[in-house]
Amino acid sequence: MAGFSGDETAPFFGFLGAAAALVFSCMGAAYGTAKSGVGVASMGVMRPELVMKSIVPVVMAGVLGIYGLIIAVIISTGINPKAKSYYLFDGYAHLSSGLACGLAGLSAGMAIGIVGDAGVRIRFRNMCHPTSTPWRDLALQFLSLLRRDLP
Amino acid sequence: MSTAASSSWGTALVKISPYTFSAVGIAVSIGVSVLGAAWGIYITGSSLIGAAIKAPRITSKNLISVIFCEAVAIYGVIVAIILQTKLESVPSSQIYAAESLRAGYAIFASGLIVGFANLVCGLCVGIIGSSCALSDAQNSSLFVKILVIEIFGSALGLFGVIVGIIMSAQATWPTKV
Repeated sequence: MAGFSGDETAPFFGFLGAAAALVFSCMGAAYGTAKSGVGVASMGVMRPELVMKSIVPVVMAGVLGIYGLIIAVIISTGINPKAKSYYLFDGYAHLSSGLACGLAGLSAGMAIGIVGDAGVRIRFRNMCHPTSTPWRDLALQFLSLLRRDLP
Repeated sequence: MSTAASSSWGTALVKISPYTFSAVGIAVSIGVSVLGAAWGIYITGSSLIGAAIKAPRITSKNLISVIFCEAVAIYGVIVAIILQTKLESVPSSQIYAAESLRAGYAIFASGLIVGFANLVCGLCVGIIGSSCALSDAQNSSLFVKILVIEIFGSALGLFGVIVGIIMSAQATWPTKV
């Protein structure tokens, strides 16, 4: 094909980058929300007053979805061959940026889910008394590793 | 002739009609969204019905979790309808023009985004809805608190719809010459 430069297919990679940014971040956000939410609900059966304080992992996971949304919108509004020529270079750049954002969001979401679930359950188990704070619990944990006779 | 001409991706992609991509995108947007909704409803529903054996009071309140999952399917239907209104017929000389190809890719990616975002949203809401039903059966003060978590989960489907609609605005076909 004379004059075929491959740049017509560049938007394919660009739009796929935007899709990857959102879809993978949402996967991470969903995993984080679901896993920590199950932990919060399990803990809440024993201690209902702690539920609202333990919503932090869920909020953190929700923020990941917003990151993916922002990157996806930035990428998809940047694909405008009429305003600025869109070469294969731009397509690949958008694809890689979308994958970077999305896969990082996926991993972060999985980490938030696992840590949130475990943390919420440990918070209940290791509490010394009902008005304990997280720092106090952590400090007591570390101290108890150093000194066996501390509870 | 630029070196990009030797790209095998490019030569393969440019032979596929943009209408193929558009049709697959529209199908994925509704099909995978409904898959997510159904998955969420079955996770929530089975827990709800099981927990209601010992605590029948929870049934009417916890139907809201099922409604959140259903909303995900509705998002998929709405976006599929919007995407199919973006399809225009172009003269056969223009089908493989750069602008038509871009429109096809935009509809495809938009459908993918909406479909898979709704899939994970449906799953998330289903899992949380099931724990909501089970903890509500134990202690009815927990229902509203776990519902807050479920609302965070259902926002993910909305993100997908927002980006899908913004991206579908990029689907401009060449005007008939």
